[in-house]
Amino acid sequence: MPTAAIDPPGITWLRVSPKYVTVRLVEWALGNLVMVAVLSLPLVFVRLGWWRWPPLWLAIGIPAFMLLLALWRLVLIPRQVRAIGYAERDDDLLIRGGIFFQRVMVVPYGRMQYVDISAGPVERGLGLCTLKLHTASAGTNAGIPGLPAEEGARLREQLSARGEARLAGL
Amino acid sequence: MSAGGLASGKPDGEWLRVHPATPFVRGWVALAAIGYFFGRDSFERMLQGQPLIDDRIAGRAPWLLGGGALLLVLAVLGFILSWYFTRYQVAEGYVRVNTGFLFKQQRQARLDRVQAIDIVQPLLARIFGLAELKFEVADAGESAVRLAFLRIDDARQLRATILARASGIRLDPEHPEAAAPEAPEQLVLQVPPSRLVGSLLLSEQSVFVVLGAAASVMLSALTENRAFFLYLIPAALGLIAAYWNSFSKGYNFTAAISPDGIRLRYGLLDTQAQTLPPGRVQALRVAQPPLWRLFGWYRMQVNAAGYGAGANNGEGGSRTTLLPVGKMDDVLNMLALVLPDPGTADPLRVFHQGVNGLDSDAGFVTTPRRARLLAPLGWRRNAFAATDTALLMRSGRWWRQLVVVPHQRTQSIALQQGPLARRFGLADLVLHTTAGPVVPRVIQADIREAQALFDAQAARARAARRRQTSEQWLAQVAPALTEPAPTPLVEPAETPDLTPQQPPRLASSPREPGWRGPKLDQRPPTAPQQEGQQRG
Repeated sequence: MPTAAIDPPGITWLRVSPKYVTVRLVEWALGNLVMVAVLSLPLVFVRLGWWRWPPLWLAIGIPAFMLLLALWRLVLIPRQVRAIGYAERDDDLLIRGGIFFQRVMVVPYGRMQYVDISAGPVERGLGLCTLKLHTASAGTNAGIPGLPAEEGARLREQLSARGEARLAGL
Repeated sequence: MSAGGLASGKPDGEWLRVHPATPFVRGWVALAAIGYFFGRDSFERMLQGQPLIDDRIAGRAPWLLGGGALLLVLAVLGFILSWYFTRYQVAEGYVRVNTGFLFKQQRQARLDRVQAIDIVQPLLARIFGLAELKFEVADAGESAVRLAFLRIDDARQLRATILARASGIRLDPEHPEAAAPEAPEQLVLQVPPSRLVGSLLLSEQSVFVVLGAAASVMLSALTENRAFFLYLIPAALGLIAAYWNSFSKGYNFTAAISPDGIRLRYGLLDTQAQTLPPGRVQALRVAQPPLWRLFGWYRMQVNAAGYGAGANNGEGGSRTTLLPVGKMDDVLNMLALVLPDPGTADPLRVFHQGVNGLDSDAGFVTTPRRARLLAPLGWRRNAFAATDTALLMRSGRWWRQLVVVPHQRTQSIALQQGPLARRFGLADLVLHTTAGPVVPRVIQADIREAQALFDAQAARARAARRRQTSEQWLAQVAPALTEPAPTPLVEPAETPDLTPQQPPRLASSPREPGWRGPKLDQRPPTAPQQEGQQRG
């Protein structure tokens, strides 16, 4: 890990499937390439002589900048996916994520209200799923994406069982 | 297993209707709207000295009147039908409400899941001696159960019954049909109207008002354009409405404590009485806008699971207010109610430090000095401290605030760090609680401290949850602690005999002077008893 500065020490993280990179790539392509294409339209129009404004340098500059940004995000994706991790402890679940903006979250089993499993079309094609934990707080934005389907099912059962054993109301 | 201390009486409570005057009290807005719609035109004509009814439509007047009457009849009929089909019942640990005549709805809520009970009296209902009862459970949305309208005495009685059953006390088995007595209460504080007015005048919005007015005057003087004053008129109207709203919501604010929890009463025209049972406060904030420092005033807000996000709508905003304005003594009194066991040997010093203090003192750990470039003003003020029962987070050099989260109320915890914070070796710790105006966050703590706090806080929350076993606050049995806690205020381990005993949360242990937690006896008429050994 490049920067594991904020993790509590002594935890062995379970990582998500490397195939999740593909899911992120598809999301990236859908989001960023479409945006760059749209931003390139003025350049096309200017070249065709339909538009006078914006000047050529601006028409090239904006999509080029966005393209650079998008490529930068693209380069980060594998590292971001590698940064996602989770660890089951006796009483709580730890979830980490992020490289620049790191976050480590602890969700006590007794606090879980319900567990969701979802899978989009790309995820389903790769046999992956996304697991989401919900507590009474809307701030608990605890999801583990890119889990292999059987691992997701196991984790869900495990979490439900542990949550029941430690149920603590609100 | 039947939840709730339902040892009393009829296995199935009878189904009741709300008060027959309800349709009219609820429907007066509709009546007023119809009246306004038809009356406005005539009124305007009268002002202009023209005949009351336009000549052009004079011929059609009967039709219009007939239409209006039909609308009126339909509206009244709708309200009457909805009244007829609304019935409620309190039995077997549940409150049930059936509503609707086309689309029927049956709703039931577990009594021991109650997060708060409010009795609301809008002005018109107050004139008729009626009240609305709101029963909140933890779904952060609309009220789970709203009963509008009941006679005020009935509403109080129903509240007492619900709270008695939710608290898990067992009513006298000899007289099962005897009504649950209203829990005795003890006045804690009152906010005098003069202080309320002063607090409004010195509030944050007043600062902006003065700034905005000054800017407008400057602009109009500079540009010699009077139009700026015209823009001020709607703004002023809005402001007056806002001030009036705050004033009428905060008027006559009274806080009291009873075994059933904290009672808050307030309101000038519409009055509201809230009951927050013990242990329902998820997070609490003491805040002080800059100008309030002149008089040493503070404001307190809470997150309670039933009240939802609140801050966005006017109703919720007042409901999440624990104290609209008060002095330090009032703040400490309210803190003692919310947190009967402060979990520290010297609560006064700790909370004084938390509210007003600077630098590391009384257990507070501040942002390290190396981060003073990042937070030139705040680094001496940003701090956290953990007592045995709660986590205290203070921040804000000018807009002071202290956030308190009881350990057993922590939902989940996140440690966050951005690139800038990494350079300075800092991290933020976010505690997630239910929706509400309070957002607990330890900002810019040293990374090692934050990590230690992250681990320790998870462990503390775990231990605190083990100690609390039941939603029924009078029936809470503190289980023998697995790890002996160092605090002298923790209850002794449970004795095996099931004699009536003081509820742990309200038990009066030897307290430090000044920490005036609730020291009430139990409901006098019927002594609460431990009901069975375990409950679900």
